[in-house]
Amino acid sequence: MDKYPVRVFLKKKGRAVYISHLDLLRAMQRALKRSGLPVWYSEGFNPRIYLNFPLPLSLGTLGEREPMDFYGIEEIPMENFALRLGEVCPEGISIISAGAPVHKNRDIGSAEYRAVFSGNVPEIERAFGEFLASEKIEVKKRSKKKGEITLDIKPHIKIIGTDTGENEFSADFILPAGNELNINAGVFTGAFTEFCKSMGISAEIVCTKRLNIYCQNGEIFT
Amino acid sequence: MGAENAEMKKKIESILLKVNNPSRYIGGELNSVVKDREKVGLRFAFCFPDTYDVGMSHIGMKILYSLKNRRENWWCERVFAPWADFEALMRENDIPLYGLESLDPIRDFNFIGFTVQYELCYTNILNMLELAGIPLMSRDRGEECPIVMAGGPCVCNPEPLADFIDLFALGEGEELNIELLELYENMKKNGGYSKKKFLEQAALIEGIYVPAFYDVSYCEDGTIKEVKPIGKGVPEKVKKRIIEDFDKVYYPETFVVPFSEIVHDRAVVEVLRGCVRGCRFCQAGFIYRPFREKTAETVVSEAKSLCESTGYEVLSLSSLSTSDHSDVEGMLEAAADYTEQRHISLSLPSMRIDRFNDKLMEQLSKVRKSGLTFAPEAGTQRLRDVINKNITEEEILSACETAFKGGYAGVKLYFMIGLPTETDEDILGIVSLASKIADLWYNMNDRPKGQKLSVSVSCATFVPKPFTPFQFEPQISPVEINRRQKLLLDAARGKRYMTVSYHNFRVSVLEAALAKGDRRMGDVIYRAWKKGCKFDGWDECFRFDLWQEAFEEAGLSMDHYARRAMDCGETAPWDHLDYMVSKEFLIREREKAYKGITTKNCREGCSGCGISKGIGRECFG
Ligand code: SF4
Repeated sequence: MDKYPVRVFLKKKGRAVYISHLDLLRAMQRALKRSGLPVWYSEGFNPRIYLNFPLPLSLGTLGEREPMDFYGIEEIPMENFALRLGEVCPEGISIISAGAPVHKNRDIGSAEYRAVFSGNVPEIERAFGEFLASEKIEVKKRSKKKGEITLDIKPHIKIIGTDTGENEFSADFILPAGNELNINAGVFTGAFTEFCKSMGISAEIVCTKRLNIYCQNGEIFT
Repeated sequence: MGAENAEMKKKIESILLKVNNPSRYIGGELNSVVKDREKVGLRFAFCFPDTYDVGMSHIGMKILYSLKNRRENWWCERVFAPWADFEALMRENDIPLYGLESLDPIRDFNFIGFTVQYELCYTNILNMLELAGIPLMSRDRGEECPIVMAGGPCVCNPEPLADFIDLFALGEGEELNIELLELYENMKKNGGYSKKKFLEQAALIEGIYVPAFYDVSYCEDGTIKEVKPIGKGVPEKVKKRIIEDFDKVYYPETFVVPFSEIVHDRAVVEVLRGCVRGCRFCQAGFIYRPFREKTAETVVSEAKSLCESTGYEVLSLSSLSTSDHSDVEGMLEAAADYTEQRHISLSLPSMRIDRFNDKLMEQLSKVRKSGLTFAPEAGTQRLRDVINKNITEEEILSACETAFKGGYAGVKLYFMIGLPTETDEDILGIVSLASKIADLWYNMNDRPKGQKLSVSVSCATFVPKPFTPFQFEPQISPVEINRRQKLLLDAARGKRYMTVSYHNFRVSVLEAALAKGDRRMGDVIYRAWKKGCKFDGWDECFRFDLWQEAFEEAGLSMDHYARRAMDCGETAPWDHLDYMVSKEFLIREREKAYKGITTKNCREGCSGCGISKGIGRECFG
């Protein structure tokens, strides 16, 4: 039988937050190997399980629903991929579902995040409002073609909502993702904590979480 | 599960995202052993005095970690030296050194055990003790402190560490560790425990050396006068431990699989221990004697278990000289049968040139095509005979030819500079050997198109090591090392296929001094550490100037240890330790070296090194 694509969605949390994209790739290749699932290997002298993450997640960011693609080579029920892989995942990684991919990687248009800050909460909340009201939010960004460039990310930020708790302030927001323009959550949260610093407000990032990935047409990436 | 120290975890997590490669500081890796701290009676911190990446690659640690954790009542955890960025934040945030499994501070453990793989990690041992919040000196540690022990190849001369370590485990640890921990457990249970009493009893276990029970006196010229046992009933000579049945010895069914990439990120089976060869500079070749091997069956079954439980994509059949396995072809075939079907690549790190033939080549080429590495060690036959590297130029050339015909376009060759009796001719011999290898390539009709030849030559500096026939030898002067390195570089100039790399010779000078050091070296190590030395084996951290100051302040000379020819009759700092290779044999081998006479390998015939006497049987048969 020909190889066929499988897309798994996983959660990355707890200790797994401290691993980089490449570490996650390796960890999942090994998990697939341990699972004994019928998956496709790249050819060559050092065969590797073919594995692709449509939207890599940076170190330090939790993932609520991260897609991961590979190929199956024998017909088995899709849910078996989720079940058997789930059994052998390292601590901090769990499998939500498995299925045939609906969207293409290049369909990805944006991602939704939640960032949680601690410190002087009322002040952070106030600063957040001021931060978003600034005329421009300029960040340095490395681009392959042009080297380091300065980019105003303000027009690209979409705030979904904020929440002020006793010890923490959290914000949900959407940033562009994918091939055309990709802005990491860290770029936004980093710019905000810098802003706080410049105002003499202490704000520490407690955690950053990617909640979901969307297509350009607004559909949930599936 | 969930047995980790929540308060410590919170502190650690608050700094993790500020450092490089944070996953190495938080544990939680696949197959790491987490127990309930309330339910274990004995806690052991297994410390590797180098980074996680290096330490996690170390096979001895994996063996002893799993072995101890098999006991329900014992919990062994892993501890590594934090890199500078993390260490600074640990200190800033009052985070003491902790075990990766529980995140508990190791100062509350029963044992802290270091594995000492090389001399250049001594300052890291001190640094780790200090980070743990434990007094550095053995004599300053009271009943409330853990017992601090050390083992590993480097403790065959433990004297430089004698001030800091309560007891040393000599030789192979699989049985020794169990006996020692059982003794501790029993004494605690029966109420008869005190640190002193425990050390007294421990010193009676074969393989345990308690330095405090031995007194060292010195002659006026700085050499050792006498080492006298002063403890109750302690042996005059402490004998190393050996595992009798290596095929049946415990081997872990699984490894902890790190998240981040480490130096040797793979499943490893130790296929044999010891070495039949007897290269005269090689410490491992003598201290790990006798030669013992696992059957192909055992190797494959251990390999399977490891691969299945880790998901590793590379399997390494490791040892000092894997091609010396009596059934290497059968073993490889059986291993390859398994690995091929599971898409696992096979790696054979230690191949002897003279065992490299078409058959082996075929096995290798089926699975892997990375560079090939050989170690002629010396550039001329004369010098290879002196060091007893029993390989001929023909064998080297024929191995390279086999490799080229098998599709390899590059070989890596290891050499040593500064070997006893070395002349300029030997140095130039390295280059002419490389040229001959190149001629082979260029004269080959069917050489792969579009490939460029690469002969890469890597040169280490000779370091005289205890328990080798060259232990008596002086190291050549830094100026001379420098000159010879330059000579080699000049001669290699213009040969485009050839790259030459060599190490900072100052590191080798320090390594020699520490390797041959006596107890007084403890003061030097302490001073060097105080001045900020750590990670001395890392180029970017090595501070020779600080070490020079430390020697000076301690009133000792580096040259006395590194560059003085020792008299064969002189008492060496390690002479009261018995690694079963007799001093008479070492002296005999040294004399033969000077005459350029080689010694046959153990399989061809016994040369009476003393091992068979020590173990009470013939080594082979
Ligand atoms: S006793 Fe003989 S065979 Fe055994 S290790 Fe020594 S030299 Fe080799």
